[in-house]
Amino acid sequence: MKALCVSLCLLGAGLFLCSAHARGLRRCLISTNLHRMEESFRGIKTAIQAKDTFQNVTILSPSETLHGIKPLDVCCVTKNLLAFYVDRVFKDHQELNPQIMRKISSLANSFLYMQKTLQQCKLCHCRQEATNATRIIHDNYDQLEVRAAAVKSLGELDVFLAWIDKHHQGTSAASRQGT
Amino acid sequence: MILEEIKTSLIMWVSYALIPCLFVDGVAVLPAPQNLSMQSTNMKHVLTWSPVIVPEEIIHYSVEYQGEYESLYTSHIWIPSSWCSPTQRPECDITEDITATVSYSLRVRATLGSLTSAWSTLKHRFNQNSTILTPPGMEITMDGFHLLIKLEDLGPHFEFFVFYWRREPGAKEHVKVVRPGILPVYLETVEPGAAYCVKARTFVKAIGRHSAFSRTECVKVQGEALPLALALLAFVGFVLILVVALLSIWKMGRLLQHSCCPVVMLPNTLKITNSPQKLISCRKEEVEACVTSGLSSEELLKACI
Repeated sequence: MKALCVSLCLLGAGLFLCSAHARGLRRCLISTNLHRMEESFRGIKTAIQAKDTFQNVTILSPSETLHGIKPLDVCCVTKNLLAFYVDRVFKDHQELNPQIMRKISSLANSFLYMQKTLQQCKLCHCRQEATNATRIIHDNYDQLEVRAAAVKSLGELDVFLAWIDKHHQGTSAASRQGT
Repeated sequence: MILEEIKTSLIMWVSYALIPCLFVDGVAVLPAPQNLSMQSTNMKHVLTWSPVIVPEEIIHYSVEYQGEYESLYTSHIWIPSSWCSPTQRPECDITEDITATVSYSLRVRATLGSLTSAWSTLKHRFNQNSTILTPPGMEITMDGFHLLIKLEDLGPHFEFFVFYWRREPGAKEHVKVVRPGILPVYLETVEPGAAYCVKARTFVKAIGRHSAFSRTECVKVQGEALPLALALLAFVGFVLILVVALLSIWKMGRLLQHSCCPVVMLPNTLKITNSPQKLISCRKEEVEACVTSGLSSEELLKACI
């Protein structure tokens, strides 16, 4: 009987922690304007993807990496992928067209803001599965020439933004009105 | 005298021309714009600076910005502003360029033909979370018993939190999140005779801040008794108007009748006051009297008349 009670308590605690993690990411990204970022990307998608010369290769590999991510790993993977784009992709891409430069700058600075927001989240620990998923993405990137890899990664931004949107379902008005 | 005046004017003109164009190592240099300043209210960000004055010349300005990302990772890259590269006015609305809640560096330079000034950089980096949020303008209206609110449009960044309650002790405060549009927004169906109060404030998700509350506005909903009195009054008024109209029509009819078919009044002498039998018996006596006296027909007629 005691063992049953303890098991139930542990299960309840585990479920609570899981939901707290999931809620944690949504709360952490509370003021992210994903819609605006998607709009910025739509403005450059055609031009960027037209420069992608390796159509049958993918960097993000969503089926191997993103789609199988568990709720507990969402925050870590988000943090890692933001760092991937900010530290590598945006820096490696050379752009001369001012209009495209503005859109990429908008995305890069928005990603920087999201990184800062996530850094303040306490419930964002990295497990081995999350680290493995981001390692695959980095390896895919390293296999291509750096300019080509940057262009391809930029062209796949919609996949990443859609994934963030799926795991960040926005907040209700009631949670905002209290501030 | 005149020559002296011309000489003075020439000297002054040359001096004025030289003031903005400083010569450095024999090369003309355009001065950089000074006093750069940022004004930001309700997520509208405007950069201003003191104009560079060159008499009889039009100066053009170019504005560039660098987000925090560029400052950290690609510090040599500055991005030309969407609307102000170039511009002729000493100000620039850079709202569209500030797209993230990070710090931005801004710089301006002047150009005149082939002459270009040095860049002038805004002293302190700008972050849109420092924008001043003002209480929203609102208009409360009633459509029958529907309480409606019209809010000023401040742009896509803004949501409005509308608080409304019945003005009585212990009343519950309701809140509704509104995005302003062309038409007023419905708040609630209210009870007649009661008073309702409304206030609102804005929320900007991008910076996670609220504005202060607007002034509270209260409206009193008219009760059911008043419409009844109005209806009664309207009915009485209608009946009065109907009576007057009918009387007028009858009077007009009478007037028209008299004007086309007037009634002729008999003089009193021709008026018959006695009964016809008496008149006939009177005439018979007169005729006998006339016959007896032997009067002629004319005299008889005169007598009879």
